[in-house]
Amino acid sequence: MENVVNHSSNTKPTPSSSPSGGPKGGFFSLKNQDKLHLTAIKSLAVFVIGLLITLLILLLKQAWPAVTEFGVEFITSDWWNPVEDQFGGLSFIVGTVLTSIIAIIIAAPVSIGVALLMTEVLPERAGKTIGLFVEMIAAIPSIVFGLWGLFYLAPFVRETLTPIIKSTLGFIPFFNGPSFGIGVLTASLILAIMIIPTITSLCREVFRSVPTLQREAALGLGSTRWEMIRLAVIKPSFSGIMGGIVLGLGRALGETMAVAMVIGNQPEIPKSIFSSAATMASVIANEYAEADSDLHVSALCLVGILLFGVTLIANAIARLIVWNYNRKQQG
Amino acid sequence: MSQPIISVKDLHIWYNDFHAIKGISIDYLPNTINAIIGPSGCGKSTFVRTLNRIHEEVPGARAQGSIMYMGKNILSSEVDPVDLRRQIGMVFQKPNPFPSMSIFENTVIGLKLQGEKNKSKLMEVAETCLKKAALWDEVKDKLNKPGTSLSGGQQQRLCIARSLAVNPPVLLMDEPTSALDPIATGKIEELMTELKKEYTVIIVTHNMQQAARIADYTSFFILGELIEHGLSSDIFTNPKQKTTEDYITGRFG
Repeated sequence: MENVVNHSSNTKPTPSSSPSGGPKGGFFSLKNQDKLHLTAIKSLAVFVIGLLITLLILLLKQAWPAVTEFGVEFITSDWWNPVEDQFGGLSFIVGTVLTSIIAIIIAAPVSIGVALLMTEVLPERAGKTIGLFVEMIAAIPSIVFGLWGLFYLAPFVRETLTPIIKSTLGFIPFFNGPSFGIGVLTASLILAIMIIPTITSLCREVFRSVPTLQREAALGLGSTRWEMIRLAVIKPSFSGIMGGIVLGLGRALGETMAVAMVIGNQPEIPKSIFSSAATMASVIANEYAEADSDLHVSALCLVGILLFGVTLIANAIARLIVWNYNRKQQG
Repeated sequence: MSQPIISVKDLHIWYNDFHAIKGISIDYLPNTINAIIGPSGCGKSTFVRTLNRIHEEVPGARAQGSIMYMGKNILSSEVDPVDLRRQIGMVFQKPNPFPSMSIFENTVIGLKLQGEKNKSKLMEVAETCLKKAALWDEVKDKLNKPGTSLSGGQQQRLCIARSLAVNPPVLLMDEPTSALDPIATGKIEELMTELKKEYTVIIVTHNMQQAARIADYTSFFILGELIEHGLSSDIFTNPKQKTTEDYITGRFG
Protein backbone atom coordinates (compact mmCIF):
# COMPACT_ATOMS: atom_id res chain seq x y z
CA MET A 1 0.00 0.00 0.00
CA GLU A 2 2.76 2.33 1.00
CA ASN A 3 4.61 1.51 -2.19
CA VAL A 4 1.70 2.59 -4.26
CA VAL A 5 1.49 5.93 -2.48
CA ASN A 6 5.18 6.52 -2.94
CA HIS A 7 5.03 5.62 -6.54
CA SER A 8 2.24 8.01 -7.33
CA SER A 9 3.94 10.84 -5.50
CA ASN A 10 7.09 10.21 -7.50
CA THR A 11 5.35 10.56 -10.80
CA LYS A 12 4.02 13.98 -9.85
CA PRO A 13 5.77 16.45 -12.10
CA THR A 14 7.65 18.47 -9.49
CA PRO A 15 10.59 20.27 -11.07
CA SER A 16 13.13 19.06 -8.51
CA SER A 17 12.45 15.35 -8.53
CA SER A 18 11.22 14.47 -11.98
CA PRO A 19 13.89 13.39 -14.43
CA SER A 20 11.91 14.67 -17.40
CA GLY A 21 12.52 18.20 -16.23
CA GLY A 22 9.20 19.33 -14.89
CA PRO A 23 6.57 21.18 -16.86
CA LYS A 24 7.50 21.31 -20.49
CA GLY A 25 9.21 24.52 -21.51
CA GLY A 26 10.05 25.52 -17.93
CA PHE A 27 13.06 27.77 -18.17
CA PHE A 28 14.78 26.30 -15.12
CA SER A 29 13.95 22.67 -15.83
CA LEU A 30 16.80 20.23 -15.13
CA LYS A 31 17.56 19.88 -18.81
CA ASN A 32 17.76 23.60 -19.29
CA GLN A 33 19.85 24.05 -16.15
CA ASP A 34 22.58 21.94 -17.68
CA LYS A 35 22.41 23.87 -20.92
CA LEU A 36 22.49 27.17 -19.06
CA HIS A 37 25.53 26.12 -17.09
CA LEU A 38 27.30 24.99 -20.17
CA THR A 39 26.51 28.16 -22.06
CA ALA A 40 27.58 30.33 -19.14
CA ILE A 41 30.88 28.50 -18.73
CA LYS A 42 31.53 28.49 -22.46
CA SER A 43 30.89 32.20 -22.83
CA LEU A 44 33.15 33.00 -19.89
CA ALA A 45 35.92 30.96 -21.44
CA VAL A 46 35.44 32.68 -24.78
CA PHE A 47 35.42 36.04 -23.00
CA VAL A 48 38.80 35.38 -21.39
CA ILE A 49 40.36 34.25 -24.64
CA GLY A 50 38.81 37.24 -26.39
CA LEU A 51 40.27 39.55 -23.78
CA LEU A 52 43.74 38.19 -24.40
CA ILE A 53 43.43 38.51 -28.16
CA THR A 54 42.03 42.06 -27.95
CA LEU A 55 44.85 43.07 -25.64
CA LEU A 56 47.45 41.71 -28.00
CA ILE A 57 45.85 43.32 -31.06
CA LEU A 58 45.67 46.74 -29.39
CA LEU A 59 49.29 46.49 -28.21
CA LEU A 60 50.38 45.41 -31.65
CA LYS A 61 48.52 48.31 -33.27
CA GLN A 62 50.28 50.71 -30.94
CA ALA A 63 53.63 49.04 -31.57
CA TRP A 64 53.21 48.86 -35.35
CA PRO A 65 55.17 52.05 -36.19
CA ALA A 66 58.20 50.61 -34.34
CA VAL A 67 57.78 47.28 -36.12
CA THR A 68 57.79 48.88 -39.58
CA GLU A 69 60.59 51.28 -38.66
CA PHE A 70 63.07 48.79 -37.16
CA GLY A 71 61.84 45.35 -38.13
CA VAL A 72 63.99 42.49 -36.92
CA GLU A 73 66.69 44.96 -35.94
CA PHE A 74 64.62 45.79 -32.89
CA ILE A 75 65.65 42.52 -31.29
CA THR A 76 69.17 42.30 -32.70
CA SER A 77 70.32 45.83 -31.86
CA ASP A 78 71.01 47.10 -28.38
CA TRP A 79 71.13 50.76 -29.43
CA TRP A 80 68.40 52.48 -27.39
CA ASN A 81 68.50 56.22 -27.83
CA PRO A 82 65.23 58.13 -27.33
CA VAL A 83 66.89 61.45 -28.21
CA GLU A 84 67.72 60.25 -31.72
CA ASP A 85 64.59 58.10 -31.97
CA GLN A 86 66.71 55.00 -32.39
CA PHE A 87 65.36 51.95 -30.63
CA GLY A 88 66.76 48.45 -30.26
CA GLY A 89 65.57 46.25 -27.43
CA LEU A 90 68.23 43.55 -27.23
CA SER A 91 69.78 44.87 -24.00
CA PHE A 92 66.41 44.65 -22.25
CA ILE A 93 65.82 41.11 -23.42
CA VAL A 94 69.26 40.16 -22.13
CA GLY A 95 68.62 42.02 -18.88
CA THR A 96 65.30 40.30 -18.27
CA VAL A 97 66.46 36.81 -19.16
CA LEU A 98 69.75 37.15 -17.28
CA THR A 99 68.28 38.45 -14.02
CA SER A 100 65.50 35.86 -14.11
CA ILE A 101 67.84 32.97 -14.76
CA ILE A 102 70.20 34.00 -11.96
CA ALA A 103 67.18 34.43 -9.69
CA ILE A 104 65.96 30.91 -10.53
CA ILE A 105 69.43 29.45 -9.99
CA ILE A 106 69.45 30.97 -6.52
CA ALA A 107 65.79 30.46 -5.63
CA ALA A 108 65.11 26.93 -6.91
CA PRO A 109 67.51 25.01 -4.65
CA VAL A 110 66.58 27.15 -1.65
CA SER A 111 62.86 26.64 -2.27
CA ILE A 112 63.14 22.89 -2.82
CA GLY A 113 65.25 22.64 0.33
CA VAL A 114 62.80 24.64 2.42
CA ALA A 115 59.87 22.62 1.05
CA LEU A 116 61.63 19.35 1.90
CA LEU A 117 62.45 20.67 5.35
CA MET A 118 58.80 21.52 5.91
CA THR A 119 57.34 18.25 4.66
CA GLU A 120 60.00 15.62 5.35
CA VAL A 121 62.19 16.73 8.22
CA LEU A 122 60.37 18.95 10.67
CA PRO A 123 57.35 17.86 12.71
CA GLU A 124 54.10 18.96 11.12
CA ARG A 125 53.45 21.95 13.34
CA ALA A 126 56.93 23.43 12.94
CA GLY A 127 56.69 22.91 9.19
CA LYS A 128 53.38 24.75 9.04
CA THR A 129 54.81 27.66 11.04
CA ILE A 130 57.70 28.03 8.64
CA GLY A 131 55.25 27.77 5.75
CA LEU A 132 53.32 30.69 7.19
CA PHE A 133 56.44 32.85 7.28
CA VAL A 134 57.40 31.90 3.75
CA GLU A 135 53.94 32.81 2.53
CA MET A 136 54.18 36.14 4.31
CA ILE A 137 57.14 36.98 2.06
CA ALA A 138 54.77 36.67 -0.88
CA ALA A 139 52.45 39.23 0.67
CA ILE A 140 55.10 42.00 0.78
CA PRO A 141 54.43 44.54 -2.01
CA SER A 142 57.20 44.72 -4.57
CA ILE A 143 57.79 48.43 -3.98
CA VAL A 144 58.74 47.57 -0.39
CA PHE A 145 61.18 45.01 -1.72
CA GLY A 146 62.57 47.74 -3.97
CA LEU A 147 63.10 50.12 -1.06
CA TRP A 148 64.69 47.47 1.05
CA GLY A 149 66.88 46.44 -1.86
CA LEU A 150 68.00 50.00 -2.51
CA PHE A 151 68.83 50.85 1.10
CA TYR A 152 70.07 47.55 2.51
CA LEU A 153 70.73 44.96 -0.15
CA ALA A 154 72.63 47.26 -2.50
CA PRO A 155 75.21 48.35 0.12
CA PHE A 156 75.49 44.73 1.26
CA VAL A 157 76.19 43.61 -2.29
CA ARG A 158 78.73 46.39 -2.79
CA GLU A 159 80.63 45.93 0.44
CA THR A 160 80.31 42.26 1.36
CA LEU A 161 79.16 40.14 -1.55
CA THR A 162 81.26 41.76 -4.28
CA PRO A 163 84.67 41.10 -2.63
CA ILE A 164 83.67 37.49 -1.94
CA ILE A 165 82.58 36.84 -5.53
CA LYS A 166 85.56 38.63 -6.99
CA SER A 167 88.02 36.66 -4.89
CA THR A 168 86.45 33.30 -5.78
CA LEU A 169 85.02 33.61 -9.29
CA GLY A 170 86.85 36.79 -10.29
CA PHE A 171 88.99 34.99 -12.87
CA ILE A 172 85.91 34.75 -15.08
CA PRO A 173 85.43 38.19 -16.67
CA PHE A 174 81.68 38.02 -16.13
CA PHE A 175 82.21 37.93 -12.36
CA ASN A 176 84.65 40.82 -12.34
CA GLY A 177 84.14 44.53 -12.82
CA PRO A 178 83.24 47.72 -11.02
CA SER A 179 80.42 47.29 -8.52
CA PHE A 180 78.20 50.10 -7.29
CA GLY A 181 75.74 47.95 -5.44
CA ILE A 182 72.92 48.47 -7.87
CA GLY A 183 72.95 46.21 -10.89
CA VAL A 184 72.23 42.75 -12.21
CA LEU A 185 73.27 40.86 -9.08
CA THR A 186 71.18 42.96 -6.70
CA ALA A 187 68.17 42.74 -8.99
CA SER A 188 68.58 38.97 -9.26
CA LEU A 189 68.83 38.60 -5.49
CA ILE A 190 65.66 40.65 -4.97
CA LEU A 191 63.90 38.55 -7.60
CA ALA A 192 65.11 35.36 -5.97
CA ILE A 193 63.69 36.40 -2.62
CA MET A 194 60.43 37.38 -4.26
CA ILE A 195 59.93 34.08 -6.07
CA ILE A 196 61.05 31.78 -3.25
CA PRO A 197 57.53 31.72 -1.70
CA THR A 198 55.96 30.80 -5.05
CA ILE A 199 58.30 27.89 -5.73
CA THR A 200 58.31 26.75 -2.10
CA SER A 201 54.52 26.59 -1.80
CA LEU A 202 54.18 24.64 -5.01
CA CYS A 203 56.96 22.20 -4.14
CA ARG A 204 55.48 21.70 -0.70
CA GLU A 205 52.12 20.75 -2.17
CA VAL A 206 53.79 18.41 -4.63
CA PHE A 207 55.86 16.73 -1.92
CA ARG A 208 52.81 16.43 0.31
CA SER A 209 50.93 14.63 -2.41
CA VAL A 210 53.50 11.82 -2.45
CA PRO A 211 51.76 8.87 -0.77
CA THR A 212 53.16 7.70 2.58
CA LEU A 213 53.22 4.27 0.99
CA GLN A 214 56.00 5.39 -1.36
CA ARG A 215 58.08 6.69 1.50
CA GLU A 216 57.60 3.46 3.43
CA ALA A 217 58.50 1.43 0.36
CA ALA A 218 61.85 3.20 0.20
CA LEU A 219 62.49 2.96 3.93
CA GLY A 220 61.42 -0.68 3.95
CA LEU A 221 64.18 -1.45 1.47
CA GLY A 222 66.74 -0.06 3.84
CA SER A 223 67.23 3.40 2.47
CA THR A 224 68.47 6.23 4.63
CA ARG A 225 66.24 9.25 5.12
CA TRP A 226 68.04 11.19 2.40
CA GLU A 227 67.88 8.26 -0.03
CA MET A 228 64.18 7.93 0.73
CA ILE A 229 63.66 11.62 -0.03
CA ARG A 230 65.57 11.32 -3.29
CA LEU A 231 63.83 8.12 -4.44
CA ALA A 232 60.31 8.45 -3.20
CA VAL A 233 59.81 12.20 -2.93
CA ILE A 234 61.97 14.18 -5.36
CA LYS A 235 62.11 11.77 -8.28
CA PRO A 236 58.37 11.37 -8.83
CA SER A 237 57.87 15.09 -8.18
CA PHE A 238 59.99 16.27 -11.10
CA SER A 239 57.14 17.69 -13.18
CA GLY A 240 55.65 19.38 -10.15
CA ILE A 241 58.97 20.98 -9.22
CA MET A 242 59.35 22.18 -12.81
CA GLY A 243 55.85 23.63 -12.60
CA GLY A 244 56.84 25.59 -9.51
CA ILE A 245 60.00 26.84 -11.18
CA VAL A 246 58.06 27.96 -14.24
CA LEU A 247 55.60 29.89 -12.07
CA GLY A 248 58.54 31.51 -10.29
CA LEU A 249 60.21 32.26 -13.61
CA GLY A 250 57.03 33.86 -14.89
CA ARG A 251 56.93 36.12 -11.89
CA ALA A 252 60.63 36.96 -12.20
CA LEU A 253 60.37 37.80 -15.92
CA GLY A 254 57.50 40.20 -15.37
CA GLU A 255 58.52 41.76 -12.05
CA THR A 256 58.81 45.50 -12.55
CA MET A 257 58.97 47.85 -9.61
CA ALA A 258 61.52 46.19 -7.34
CA VAL A 259 63.80 45.51 -10.28
CA ALA A 260 63.47 49.02 -11.67
CA MET A 261 64.62 50.38 -8.32
CA VAL A 262 67.79 48.34 -7.97
CA ILE A 263 69.02 47.45 -11.46
CA GLY A 264 70.41 50.86 -12.40
CA ASN A 265 68.35 51.31 -15.55
CA GLN A 266 71.13 51.47 -18.06
CA PRO A 267 70.03 50.37 -21.53
CA GLU A 268 73.17 48.34 -22.20
CA ILE A 269 73.98 44.66 -22.32
CA PRO A 270 75.59 44.05 -18.89
CA LYS A 271 79.32 43.30 -19.09
CA SER A 272 79.45 41.67 -15.68
CA ILE A 273 77.15 40.49 -12.95
CA PHE A 274 77.79 43.80 -11.15
CA SER A 275 76.95 46.10 -14.09
CA SER A 276 73.90 48.28 -14.22
CA ALA A 277 71.37 47.10 -16.75
CA ALA A 278 67.67 47.33 -17.55
CA THR A 279 64.92 44.80 -18.08
CA MET A 280 61.97 44.94 -20.43
CA ALA A 281 59.59 45.63 -17.59
CA SER A 282 61.82 48.23 -15.94
CA VAL A 283 62.34 50.24 -19.13
CA ILE A 284 58.61 50.45 -19.72
CA ALA A 285 57.99 51.58 -16.16
CA ASN A 286 60.75 54.17 -16.31
CA GLU A 287 60.14 55.68 -19.71
CA TYR A 288 56.45 55.51 -20.57
CA ALA A 289 55.69 58.78 -18.73
CA GLU A 290 58.47 60.71 -20.46
CA ALA A 291 58.07 59.26 -23.90
CA ASP A 292 57.77 62.34 -26.14
CA SER A 293 57.82 60.94 -29.63
CA ASP A 294 55.20 58.57 -30.94
CA LEU A 295 57.95 56.23 -32.02
CA HIS A 296 59.22 56.03 -28.43
CA VAL A 297 55.77 55.03 -27.15
CA SER A 298 55.48 52.57 -29.96
CA ALA A 299 58.89 51.07 -29.15
CA LEU A 300 57.89 50.64 -25.51
CA CYS A 301 54.74 48.81 -26.60
CA LEU A 302 56.85 46.56 -28.75
CA VAL A 303 59.05 45.84 -25.73
CA GLY A 304 55.86 44.86 -23.92
CA ILE A 305 54.94 42.43 -26.68
CA LEU A 306 58.45 41.01 -26.62
CA LEU A 307 58.15 40.49 -22.86
CA PHE A 308 54.97 38.56 -23.46
CA GLY A 309 56.78 36.51 -26.09
CA VAL A 310 59.76 35.78 -23.84
CA THR A 311 57.41 34.58 -21.08
CA LEU A 312 55.61 32.34 -23.56
CA ILE A 313 58.88 30.88 -24.81
CA ALA A 314 60.06 30.23 -21.24
CA ASN A 315 56.82 28.37 -20.54
CA ALA A 316 57.13 26.40 -23.75
CA ILE A 317 60.70 25.36 -22.93
CA ALA A 318 59.67 24.23 -19.46
CA ARG A 319 56.82 22.20 -20.90
CA LEU A 320 59.19 20.65 -23.37
CA ILE A 321 61.52 19.63 -20.53
CA VAL A 322 58.68 18.04 -18.57
CA TRP A 323 57.30 16.35 -21.66
CA ASN A 324 60.70 14.99 -22.59
CA TYR A 325 61.28 13.76 -19.05
CA ASN A 326 57.91 12.03 -18.88
CA ARG A 327 58.50 10.42 -22.24
CA LYS A 328 61.81 9.04 -21.01
CA GLN A 329 60.03 7.70 -17.94
CA GLN A 330 57.59 5.80 -20.10
CA GLY A 331 60.55 3.97 -21.62
CA MET B 1 63.36 -27.88 17.50
CA SER B 2 65.40 -25.14 15.87
CA GLN B 3 66.21 -21.79 17.38
CA PRO B 4 63.71 -18.98 16.76
CA ILE B 5 64.91 -16.40 14.24
CA ILE B 6 62.81 -13.67 15.82
CA SER B 7 61.82 -13.75 19.43
CA VAL B 8 59.36 -11.14 20.67
CA LYS B 9 59.11 -10.71 24.43
CA ASP B 10 56.57 -8.60 26.28
CA LEU B 11 56.19 -6.06 23.48
CA HIS B 12 54.18 -2.92 24.22
CA ILE B 13 53.49 -0.26 21.63
CA TRP B 14 51.92 3.13 22.14
CA TYR B 15 50.75 5.80 19.76
CA ASN B 16 50.97 8.82 22.04
CA ASP B 17 48.52 7.76 24.78
CA PHE B 18 46.91 4.92 22.89
CA HIS B 19 48.15 1.53 24.05
CA ALA B 20 48.05 -0.40 20.76
CA ILE B 21 49.96 -3.56 21.66
CA LYS B 22 49.74 -4.84 25.21
CA GLY B 23 52.52 -7.21 26.06
CA ILE B 24 52.86 -9.70 23.25
CA SER B 25 55.41 -12.53 23.22
CA ILE B 26 55.87 -14.79 20.18
CA ASP B 27 58.76 -16.85 18.82
CA TYR B 28 59.15 -17.20 15.08
CA LEU B 29 60.99 -20.22 13.70
CA PRO B 30 63.10 -19.98 10.56
CA ASN B 31 61.64 -21.15 7.23
CA THR B 32 58.06 -20.97 8.34
CA ILE B 33 55.06 -18.93 7.30
CA ASN B 34 53.46 -17.22 10.25
CA ALA B 35 50.07 -15.61 9.93
CA ILE B 36 48.59 -12.98 12.18
CA ILE B 37 44.80 -12.75 12.15
CA GLY B 38 42.32 -10.68 14.09
CA PRO B 39 39.62 -8.04 13.68
CA SER B 40 40.43 -4.59 12.29
CA GLY B 41 42.19 -2.32 14.72
CA CYS B 42 43.60 -5.16 16.80
CA GLY B 43 47.18 -4.05 16.23
CA LYS B 44 48.24 -6.64 13.63
CA SER B 45 49.79 -4.09 11.31
CA THR B 46 51.32 -2.15 14.16
CA PHE B 47 52.91 -5.31 15.45
CA VAL B 48 54.38 -6.37 12.15
CA ARG B 49 55.57 -2.84 11.36
CA THR B 50 57.49 -2.78 14.61
CA LEU B 51 59.47 -5.85 13.56
CA ASN B 52 61.51 -3.72 11.16
CA ARG B 53 60.98 -0.49 13.05
CA ILE B 54 59.05 1.19 10.25
CA HIS B 55 56.51 2.06 12.96
CA GLU B 56 58.89 4.85 13.92
CA GLU B 57 57.67 6.75 10.86
CA VAL B 58 54.37 7.42 12.61
CA PRO B 59 54.79 10.46 14.88
CA GLY B 60 54.19 9.60 18.52
CA ALA B 61 54.81 5.86 18.18
CA ARG B 62 57.04 4.15 20.72
CA ALA B 63 57.77 0.54 21.59
CA GLN B 64 58.84 -1.20 24.76
CA GLY B 65 59.94 -4.75 25.40
CA SER B 66 62.34 -6.79 23.36
CA ILE B 67 62.48 -8.19 19.84
CA MET B 68 65.52 -10.42 19.61
CA TYR B 69 66.93 -10.94 16.14
CA MET B 70 70.43 -12.31 15.50
CA GLY B 71 71.24 -11.95 19.18
CA LYS B 72 70.32 -8.28 19.36
CA ASN B 73 67.30 -6.41 20.59
CA ILE B 74 66.27 -4.54 17.46
CA LEU B 75 64.44 -1.95 19.52
CA SER B 76 67.66 -0.79 21.14
CA SER B 77 69.27 2.36 19.87
CA GLU B 78 72.43 0.48 18.89
CA VAL B 79 70.62 -1.18 16.03
CA ASP B 80 70.55 0.95 12.91
CA PRO B 81 67.01 0.79 11.43
CA VAL B 82 68.44 1.21 7.92
CA ASP B 83 70.60 -1.86 8.36
CA LEU B 84 67.76 -3.77 10.01
CA ARG B 85 65.36 -3.11 7.15
CA ARG B 86 67.83 -4.62 4.72
CA GLN B 87 67.54 -7.86 6.68
CA ILE B 88 63.86 -7.76 7.51
CA GLY B 89 62.08 -6.82 4.30
CA MET B 90 58.53 -5.64 3.99
CA VAL B 91 55.71 -5.94 1.47
CA PHE B 92 52.85 -3.53 2.00
CA GLN B 93 49.09 -3.74 1.76
CA LYS B 94 48.84 -1.84 -1.50
CA PRO B 95 51.32 -2.50 -4.28
CA ASN B 96 53.72 0.44 -4.21
CA PRO B 97 56.30 0.23 -6.98
CA PHE B 98 58.13 3.51 -7.53
CA PRO B 99 56.19 5.24 -10.31
CA SER B 100 59.24 6.97 -11.74
CA MET B 101 61.17 3.73 -12.22
CA SER B 102 61.07 0.91 -14.73
CA ILE B 103 60.34 -2.68 -13.77
CA PHE B 104 64.05 -3.42 -13.83
CA GLU B 105 64.99 -0.39 -11.73
CA ASN B 106 62.23 -1.18 -9.26
CA THR B 107 63.55 -4.68 -8.79
CA VAL B 108 67.16 -3.75 -8.14
CA ILE B 109 66.77 -0.41 -6.36
CA GLY B 110 67.49 -1.99 -2.97
CA LEU B 111 70.78 -3.36 -4.23
CA LYS B 112 71.64 -0.07 -5.88
CA LEU B 113 71.10 1.65 -2.56
CA GLN B 114 73.66 -0.70 -1.08
CA GLY B 115 76.15 0.50 -3.66
CA GLU B 116 75.98 -2.26 -6.28
CA LYS B 117 76.77 -0.72 -9.67
CA ASN B 118 77.79 -3.68 -11.79
CA LYS B 119 75.20 -3.87 -14.58
CA SER B 120 75.47 -7.56 -15.28
CA LYS B 121 75.25 -8.37 -11.59
CA LEU B 122 72.14 -6.21 -11.27
CA MET B 123 70.61 -7.86 -14.30
CA GLU B 124 71.35 -11.27 -12.86
CA VAL B 125 69.72 -10.40 -9.53
CA ALA B 126 66.73 -8.88 -11.28
CA GLU B 127 66.19 -12.07 -13.24
CA THR B 128 66.55 -14.31 -10.19
CA CYS B 129 64.23 -12.24 -8.06
CA LEU B 130 61.60 -11.80 -10.74
CA LYS B 131 61.71 -15.55 -11.29
CA LYS B 132 61.34 -16.18 -7.56
CA ALA B 133 58.38 -13.82 -7.55
CA ALA B 134 56.90 -15.75 -10.50
CA LEU B 135 56.83 -12.60 -12.60
CA TRP B 136 59.74 -13.13 -14.97
CA ASP B 137 57.81 -14.74 -17.80
CA GLU B 138 55.28 -11.93 -17.81
CA VAL B 139 57.75 -9.03 -17.80
CA LYS B 140 60.97 -10.26 -19.36
CA ASP B 141 60.22 -8.47 -22.64
CA LYS B 142 59.31 -5.15 -21.06
CA LEU B 143 61.79 -4.62 -18.25
CA ASN B 144 62.17 -0.97 -19.24
CA LYS B 145 58.47 -0.19 -19.00
CA PRO B 146 57.41 1.68 -15.85
CA GLY B 147 56.57 -0.48 -12.84
CA THR B 148 53.17 1.11 -12.61
CA SER B 149 52.20 -0.12 -16.08
CA LEU B 150 51.62 -3.60 -14.65
CA SER B 151 48.36 -4.91 -13.24
CA GLY B 152 47.74 -4.80 -9.48
CA GLY B 153 48.71 -8.42 -8.90
CA GLN B 154 51.82 -8.07 -11.04
CA GLN B 155 52.76 -4.88 -9.20
CA GLN B 156 52.51 -6.68 -5.88
CA ARG B 157 54.73 -9.49 -7.16
CA LEU B 158 57.13 -6.81 -8.40
CA CYS B 159 57.18 -5.40 -4.87
CA ILE B 160 57.93 -8.87 -3.53
CA ALA B 161 60.75 -9.24 -6.04
CA ARG B 162 62.03 -5.82 -4.98
CA SER B 163 62.12 -6.97 -1.36
CA LEU B 164 63.83 -10.23 -2.27
CA ALA B 165 66.62 -8.48 -4.16
CA VAL B 166 68.37 -7.45 -0.95
CA ASN B 167 68.03 -11.06 0.22
CA PRO B 168 66.43 -10.49 3.63
CA PRO B 169 66.22 -13.59 5.86
CA VAL B 170 62.82 -12.39 7.08
CA LEU B 171 59.98 -11.04 4.97
CA LEU B 172 57.10 -9.14 6.56
CA MET B 173 53.86 -8.89 4.62
CA ASP B 174 51.11 -6.55 5.69
CA GLU B 175 47.92 -7.85 4.05
CA PRO B 176 49.70 -8.30 0.73
CA THR B 177 46.68 -9.65 -1.11
CA SER B 178 43.89 -7.49 0.26
CA ALA B 179 43.91 -5.29 -2.83
CA LEU B 180 44.07 -8.17 -5.28
CA ASP B 181 41.62 -10.44 -7.05
CA PRO B 182 41.43 -14.19 -6.26
CA ILE B 183 43.66 -15.23 -9.17
CA ALA B 184 46.43 -12.82 -8.24
CA THR B 185 45.98 -13.83 -4.59
CA GLY B 186 46.39 -17.47 -5.52
CA LYS B 187 49.62 -16.70 -7.34
CA ILE B 188 51.03 -14.83 -4.38
CA GLU B 189 50.05 -17.58 -1.94
CA GLU B 190 51.74 -20.12 -4.16
CA LEU B 191 54.75 -17.88 -4.19
CA MET B 192 54.87 -17.64 -0.42
CA THR B 193 54.95 -21.39 0.08
CA GLU B 194 57.84 -21.41 -2.38
CA LEU B 195 59.60 -18.60 -0.53
CA LYS B 196 59.60 -20.27 2.85
CA LYS B 197 62.33 -22.63 1.67
CA GLU B 198 64.71 -19.70 1.91
CA TYR B 199 62.96 -17.09 3.98
CA THR B 200 60.88 -16.69 7.09
CA VAL B 201 57.57 -15.05 6.28
CA ILE B 202 55.35 -13.18 8.71
CA ILE B 203 52.06 -12.23 7.13
CA VAL B 204 49.16 -10.17 8.39
CA THR B 205 45.90 -11.21 6.81
CA HIS B 206 42.21 -10.55 7.08
CA ASN B 207 41.47 -13.70 5.21
CA MET B 208 41.30 -16.69 7.54
CA GLN B 209 41.15 -19.18 4.70
CA GLN B 210 44.41 -17.72 3.50
CA ALA B 211 46.01 -18.21 6.91
CA ALA B 212 44.70 -21.75 7.08
CA ARG B 213 45.94 -22.52 3.56
CA ILE B 214 49.47 -21.27 3.75
CA ALA B 215 50.60 -20.57 7.31
CA ASP B 216 52.47 -23.05 9.48
CA TYR B 217 51.71 -21.02 12.57
CA THR B 218 48.90 -18.59 13.26
CA SER B 219 48.52 -15.94 15.93
CA PHE B 220 45.17 -14.47 16.85
CA PHE B 221 45.12 -10.86 18.12
CA ILE B 222 42.30 -8.91 19.71
CA LEU B 223 42.65 -5.31 20.87
CA GLY B 224 46.42 -5.46 21.12
CA GLU B 225 46.53 -8.73 22.99
CA LEU B 226 47.63 -12.14 21.80
CA ILE B 227 44.73 -14.52 22.38
CA GLU B 228 46.24 -17.62 20.92
CA HIS B 229 49.34 -18.69 19.02
CA GLY B 230 50.05 -22.13 17.66
CA LEU B 231 50.14 -24.45 14.67
CA SER B 232 47.59 -23.33 12.10
CA SER B 233 46.17 -26.83 12.01
CA ASP B 234 45.39 -26.55 15.72
CA ILE B 235 44.11 -22.99 15.64
CA PHE B 236 41.70 -23.64 12.81
CA THR B 237 40.47 -27.08 13.78
CA ASN B 238 40.84 -27.21 17.51
CA PRO B 239 41.27 -23.75 19.07
CA LYS B 240 41.96 -23.69 22.78
CA GLN B 241 40.26 -20.38 23.41
CA LYS B 242 36.56 -19.74 23.09
CA THR B 243 37.19 -16.28 21.52
CA THR B 244 39.35 -17.80 18.81
CA GLU B 245 36.68 -20.32 17.99
CA ASP B 246 34.04 -17.59 17.85
CA TYR B 247 36.19 -15.52 15.55
CA ILE B 248 37.16 -18.22 13.09
CA THR B 249 33.65 -19.54 12.88
CA GLY B 250 32.29 -16.06 12.26
CA ARG B 251 30.34 -15.72 15.47
CA PHE B 252 32.52 -12.92 16.72
CA GLY B 253 30.83 -9.54 17.15
